[in-house]
Amino acid sequence: MASRQAPTAALLRKVGVSDPAQAIEALTAVEGICGTTVVEVPESLAGVADPDLAIGQLLRLAESARDQGLLDSLSALAGAEARLAALLGGSSALGDFLVLHPEVLSVLVDGGIDDIAAGARAGLLQAVGADPEAACPVASLTGTEGIDALRVEYRRRIVRIAAEDLAAANPLQVFPRVSEALADLAQAALEAGLALARADEPRHVETRLAIIAMGKCGARELNYVSDVDVVYVAEPAEGVEDAQSIAIATRLVHATVRACDRASAEPALWVVDANLRPEGKDGALVRNVESHRAYYERWAHTWEFQALLKARPVAGDIEVGRAYMDAVSPMVWTASQREGFIEEAQAMRRRVEENVPTAEAEWQIKLGPGGLRDVEFTIQLLQLVHGRTDESLRVAPTLQALGVLRDKGYVGRPQASRMDEAYRQLRVWEHRVQLDRMRRTHLVPNTEEGLRRLARASGFPEVEGFLEAWHEIRRDVRAMHLEMFYRPLLPVLARLSAGEVALDPEAARERLASIGYLDPDAAQRHIAALTEGVSRRALIQRQLLPAMIGWFANGAEPDTGLLAFRTLSEHLGDVSWYLKLLRDSAVAAERLARLLSTSPYVTQSLLASAEDVTWLDSDEDLAPRALDRLTEEADAILSRADAPDQAIASLRGLRRRELARTAAADVLTRLDTVEAACTVTHVADVVIEGALRVAMAEQARAGGSERLPFRLAVVALGRYGGMEMSYPSDADVMFVYEADDEADRVEADRQAQQVAAEVRRLLQAAGQHPPLETDADLRPEGKNGPLARSLASCAEYYGKWSEPWEAQALLRARPVAGDPGLCERFVELIDPVRYPEALTEAALKQMRTLKARMESERLPRGIDPKRHVKLGPGGLSDVEWTVQLLQMRHAKDVKGLRTTLTLEALNAAVRAKVLDRKDATVLEEAWRLATRVRGAMALRGYPKDKTNILPHDARELRALTAILGEDWSASELDDRYSRAARRARSVMERVFYGWENKEAG
Amino acid sequence: MDKQQEFVLRSVEERDIRFIRLWFTDVLGVLKSVAIAPAELENAFEEGIGFDGSAIEGLTRVYEADMIAQPDPTTFQILPWQGDVRGAARMFCDIQTPEGEPSMADPRQVLKRALDKASALGFTFYTHPEIEFYLFEPLVPGKPPKPVDSAGYFDNVPRGAAHNFRRAAITTLESMGISVEFSHHEAGPGQNEIDLRYADALATADNIMTFKMAIKEVAIEQGVFASFMPKPLPDAPGSGMHTHMSLFEGDRNAFFEAGAPFQLSKVAKSFIAGLLKHAPEITAVTNQYVNSYKRLWGGAEAPSFVCWGSNNRSALVRVPIYKPGKGQSSRIEYRALDSAANPYLALAVILAAGLKGITEEYPLPEHAEDDVWELSPAERRALGYEPLPWSLADAINVMEKSELVAETLGEQVFQFLLRNKRSEWEGYRYQVTPYEIQRFLPVL
Repeated sequence: MASRQAPTAALLRKVGVSDPAQAIEALTAVEGICGTTVVEVPESLAGVADPDLAIGQLLRLAESARDQGLLDSLSALAGAEARLAALLGGSSALGDFLVLHPEVLSVLVDGGIDDIAAGARAGLLQAVGADPEAACPVASLTGTEGIDALRVEYRRRIVRIAAEDLAAANPLQVFPRVSEALADLAQAALEAGLALARADEPRHVETRLAIIAMGKCGARELNYVSDVDVVYVAEPAEGVEDAQSIAIATRLVHATVRACDRASAEPALWVVDANLRPEGKDGALVRNVESHRAYYERWAHTWEFQALLKARPVAGDIEVGRAYMDAVSPMVWTASQREGFIEEAQAMRRRVEENVPTAEAEWQIKLGPGGLRDVEFTIQLLQLVHGRTDESLRVAPTLQALGVLRDKGYVGRPQASRMDEAYRQLRVWEHRVQLDRMRRTHLVPNTEEGLRRLARASGFPEVEGFLEAWHEIRRDVRAMHLEMFYRPLLPVLARLSAGEVALDPEAARERLASIGYLDPDAAQRHIAALTEGVSRRALIQRQLLPAMIGWFANGAEPDTGLLAFRTLSEHLGDVSWYLKLLRDSAVAAERLARLLSTSPYVTQSLLASAEDVTWLDSDEDLAPRALDRLTEEADAILSRADAPDQAIASLRGLRRRELARTAAADVLTRLDTVEAACTVTHVADVVIEGALRVAMAEQARAGGSERLPFRLAVVALGRYGGMEMSYPSDADVMFVYEADDEADRVEADRQAQQVAAEVRRLLQAAGQHPPLETDADLRPEGKNGPLARSLASCAEYYGKWSEPWEAQALLRARPVAGDPGLCERFVELIDPVRYPEALTEAALKQMRTLKARMESERLPRGIDPKRHVKLGPGGLSDVEWTVQLLQMRHAKDVKGLRTTLTLEALNAAVRAKVLDRKDATVLEEAWRLATRVRGAMALRGYPKDKTNILPHDARELRALTAILGEDWSASELDDRYSRAARRARSVMERVFYGWENKEAG
Repeated sequence: MDKQQEFVLRSVEERDIRFIRLWFTDVLGVLKSVAIAPAELENAFEEGIGFDGSAIEGLTRVYEADMIAQPDPTTFQILPWQGDVRGAARMFCDIQTPEGEPSMADPRQVLKRALDKASALGFTFYTHPEIEFYLFEPLVPGKPPKPVDSAGYFDNVPRGAAHNFRRAAITTLESMGISVEFSHHEAGPGQNEIDLRYADALATADNIMTFKMAIKEVAIEQGVFASFMPKPLPDAPGSGMHTHMSLFEGDRNAFFEAGAPFQLSKVAKSFIAGLLKHAPEITAVTNQYVNSYKRLWGGAEAPSFVCWGSNNRSALVRVPIYKPGKGQSSRIEYRALDSAANPYLALAVILAAGLKGITEEYPLPEHAEDDVWELSPAERRALGYEPLPWSLADAINVMEKSELVAETLGEQVFQFLLRNKRSEWEGYRYQVTPYEIQRFLPVL
C-alpha cells in the first residue's frame, strides 16, 4: 500500500482532489467492496466538477450495491467510468438517487441521449403499467406506487442525459440535444402522469383532453429543472355535454399535475405551471377549442400571442391537440397588426437596453445584464419586428430563430455566431447549477467552493477563467444586441466587415418605425449620408451610429435628433477631437443624442459652437461655473483686450458658452431649474459688469481724462433682480449715478446718460454672439424718465412722487455692477421705500387693484388664461405678488424677508409666522412647477413670447416632461399644472386679496 | 377585427340596420349621438370616428377640437323604438384625444377613475337608483305644462294612455336588457318612478343614460312628453333620483355587520360620515341646475339638511330598515340626487366622498330621529344639521373650494363645470320673472 500511496496522493491533488488522504481511504474501501483495483480513477476525475464528492459518492454507491446484492451492475460499468465520475461529481442529487437505486446503473452503459429521448414515452408509460400502443393509455399502477414508479423511470433517464452532458468534451455542442431530450422526457412524464390520472377516473373516456406545452418545453429547449408551462384543452367525447367533459378533464388535469409535483417518497419532478392560459390565474383551467379561440380573438394581449408562438401539443388526445393548434396558430402573427404594436416593441427594446442590475443580478445567469433573458428578448424582438412580413421567422426554438435571422440577412453573421455561442454557454452554466442539487435556480453560487465546482463542471479548470468568460459574455450580449438590432440599419457600403449584413430598405423601414422614427425613409437617408464614404469620419460614425440610432429613439423626436447629428457632423467635418471624443468617451455620444433629439435650443447652440460638444464627456465641464471663476475670466478678458469691441465680443461669447453649458446640463437633468436660473443670472451679472467697465473706460478716453466725474451703478430689477432668469429672458435694469462733489452737474449727467446708453448698445448690438437684451422701463418715470438718474434725484423721486407699485418693484432691486459704495448708498436709499414702516390702506388697495387690472389686461387675447404660467391664475405672478405683499408688510421687522429671491422670502415668511406653512408649500410647489415648465419650454426652443403658455399638443407636452426628467403622460402634466395652479390661486386670493368668501360670477 | 366587431357587422347586415348611432355623454350629462352608415362601421372600429369636440359641452377646449369616438362593440344594441323594418342601433363610445389617450373630459372616464380608486381599496361600488319623472301632454310654447293625468287624460279613456305607456316602456327597456320595476307615484300628477336593478356603478350610469333616452322616445310614440326636470311644477313634488348604494368586498357586503346598531359596519358608518361631511361640496354635481334647488328646498320630503337616520324620510342619508337574513342587501340611500344629474359624475363624487370617510376614518354623528323640517332653525343649529347649499350660486361657491371634487373630476372637467355653472347662474339672475312682474310692477 505504502508504495502506491505517495504518487497517488500527488496525482489526485493534480486532478483537483482537495483531500487526497480521505480520497485514498475511500478508494481503498471501494476496492475492498468490489474486490478490484481502481487504478483508472485519477484519469476519470480530471474534468469532474467535484472530485472529492465523486469519490465519496462512489463509496456510498458501492456500499449500497453491496447491500442490495447488485455489485455486478457496478462492475458492469467498465468503459463508462468517466460518465459515472462526471455524474457523481457534478450532481449530488442524482448521485443520491443512484445510491438509493443502484438497480438503474446499467442506464449509463447502453444507448445514448437520443435513444433515451426517443424511448421516453414508451418507457415511462410502461413504468406505470400502461400500454404505449393504446390510443388512450391507462396505468395499471395507482396511487403513490404509480407516482413513484413514474419518477424513478424519469430520473433513470435523466441520469443518462446528465452523465453524457457532464462528461461531454464540448458541452456547448451537446447542449441542443440535451435540451431537446429534457423536453421529450418532460413530455413523456406528462403523458404517463395522465395515464395515472385516468386510472383513478373511471369516466375519463367522456372527455378528450390534450396537454399543450408552452414556453421552453413547447419550444423543445427545456432546462433540467424549470417550471413546465402548459395549457389544457378538452373536447367532449361523442354524446357528452361540454360541461361534463370540462369537469372530468379538470379532475384529470389535477391528478396529472399531482403525479409530477406532489411530494412523495420519490422527490417531485418540477412545477407544472398553467398560468399562461387565457385569463391567467383567474381563468378556467380547462377550456374547449372554441373557448380558447374566442379568447384569443377577443381579449388576448400581444404578449399572449408571443407565448402562443411556442405552443405544441405534448400529451393526451392528438386530434384535439391538433385542432387547438389549427384554431389558434393563424392568429399569432395577426397580433403584430394590432394597435399598440409599436409601443410594445418599444417597451421590449427598452427592457433589453435598460436592464437595471439589482443586488442579486450580479450572480444571475438569467436575469442580469447580458443574461439569458437579454439574449432571448433580443431575438424575440427581431422576430416580432420582421416576422410580420417574413413567415420563415416564425419558429419557436431560440437558436433556430437566430439561425433564420442570420440566414435571411436580418443580423450579421459574426454577431449571430457570437450570440449563438453566448446563449449555449449561458444555458450550459444554468444547467450545471441546476444539476448540482436538481433545484430550479439561475444563480451562480456565491461561495469559493461553489464557484470552483461550477467552473470545473463547465470545462474551466480555474475559477478566474470562468469568471472572465462570463464577464465577457455579459458584455458581448449587450453589445451584440446593439450590433444585431441597429448595425444592419447601416447601408451596404457602410459595412465594417464582409460578414455584416445591411437590411434591404423595406426591412430597415420596419425596424426604424418599430422604435419610433416617424419618417423612416428620411432616417435611412441620414444614416446613409453619415456612414458612406472612406473618410475617417464616416469610418468612426459607422462604429457609433448603431448605438446612437437607439439613443435618438429614446428622445422626444428621434427624426430631428438624427438630422441634427448629420448637420453637426457635416459642420465639423473631419475635426479630429470631435471624432475622437465620440469614439472614446463613455458618455458623450449618448448625451449628445439626448440633447439633439430633445432640445432644439441646445441643438441650435451646439450648431453655433460645435466645440462645446467636448463638455459632454465630463461631468465637471457640465457643472455650472462658480461666480468668482466667471468674474476672474471676465477680468482677464478685459485686461488683455485692446479694443472695446473685442472685449465685449469675448464677454458675450462667454455668456453664450455658459448658457449652452447650463442648458445642456439642464436637459441632461444634471441640475434643477432654480439652479439653472441662478447660473443664467450670474452670467448676466458678469457680462453687464464687463460692459459697464468698457463703456466707462471708453467714455473717459474720449474725454481725454483719467477718470470720469461721476460713479455709476447698474441695478437689476424684476426676474433678473430675483435671480430667476430663463435662457431667453431680457434683463430688467436701471442706471444710477452719483456726480463728484466738485463736478459740473450738467456735464456729469450728460456723460452718465452716454455711458448708460453705451452699456445697452454694447450688450445688445448685433454681433457674432447672441445679445443680452436689456429693459430699462422699470426706472423712475418709466420710458419718460432719463436713462440714468442721479442718486439724489432718485431720493427725491422715491420720497415724493413715486407710486406704490414702484416701491413694490424695488423689492426686486439688486445692484449688480458699478461702484460698490454707490451700490450700498442706493440700497440704503431704497430700503425705507420698499420696506415701509407701514403699508397704508391706500397703498394696499392700489396694489390689489393693479394686480386685478393686470389679470384682465396683460394676458394675450385668445388664449386660455389658465395655461399662462406667468400671468394666469396660480401662475408665477400670483405667487410673487403674494410674497411681495408679505415683504412690504413685514420686512421692516423681519430681516429674512429682505431678499429679492422669491423662495427665500417665502421660507422667511414661514419662519416669521406671517404665512402658514401649508400655504407656503402650495405656493412653492406651483411656483417651482411653473418655473420648470417655463424653463423646459425655453429649452424646447419656443420663441420668447411663447414660453409662458403651456402648449396643448400632446406630443409637445410629452417632450416637456422628458426635459423635466419626469415620467408623466401629456394629460398628467396638464392635470398637475392645473391642480398646482388652482391651489396656489386659492391661497393667493386669501392671502393677497384678502378674500375669505368669493362671490359667484 | 375581433369577434365582437364581426358580430356587430353581421347583425347590422342581417337586421337591415340603416344607421348606427354612436353615443357618448357630455360633461353636463346630455346624451350625444353621431349617426354613421353601416358602410362606415368597419372603419369606425379600426380608427374611431373623428368629430368636432368643440361643439360638445365641456368635451374639449376650443383649440383642440378634434376628438375621436371609439365605439365599444360590447354595447351594441338595436334601438327598439325606431321600428323593426328600417332599424337603427347604438353603441356607447370611449372618447379619445387624437393621440389616442383617453380624454380627461369623458365623464365615463371620470367614473372609471373613481371606481379604480375604490378597487384599489378592495371595494366594488353597487348602486340602485329610483328615477322619477313627469309625463306631460305635448308642450305648447307659451302655455304651462299640463301633466297627463290632471288633464283628465286617464279619466276619458280609463287606464288607457298611462297603461299603454307603462307597458311600452317596460317592453322597450327590457328589450334593451334593462330590467326595471315600475311604480306610479301618487304624490304628483303625471309623476312616475322607475327603479333600475342593483348593478355596479358604471353599468348603472350607462343604464340611466339609455333609460332616459328610451323613456323620451316611448313617450313620443305614445303621444305624450316625458321630462326629468327636477322641479317642473311649483306645487307638485320634484323629480329626484334617490340612490341606494353599498360597497362589496369580493362577494361580501362591506356595509353589513350583524348585531351592530342598524347592522351598520364600520365601513358603512365611515362611508355615511364621508358623504355627510362632503355633501355640500358635491351638491353642484348631484344637483347641477338652477332648477334643482327648487326641488331641494321645496319642502315635503326634500332632504335639505345634512343628517342621517334610519328610515327617516327627511334625512339626507337614509338607512333602510334591515330585514333579518338579508345581510347582502345592506345599503344606504342618498336622497339629494335628482334625475337631471350627470350620472357618471354624480356617482363618482358620491363614491369619492364616501371613500374619503373610510380612508380618513371620519366619526359618524348621531342619527336624526325627528322630522328635520319640523324643527326650528335654532333647534337644527343646536343639533348640528347643516343646510345643503340653497342655490346653484351657493353650491358653486362651496364646490370651488373642494379639493375632493377637483381631484375626482380632474382639473379639466372641474374648471369646465365651474365656468358653465357660473354662466348658467348669470343667465338665470338676468331674468325678470313673471313673478316679479306680477308682484312688483303694479305697486312699484
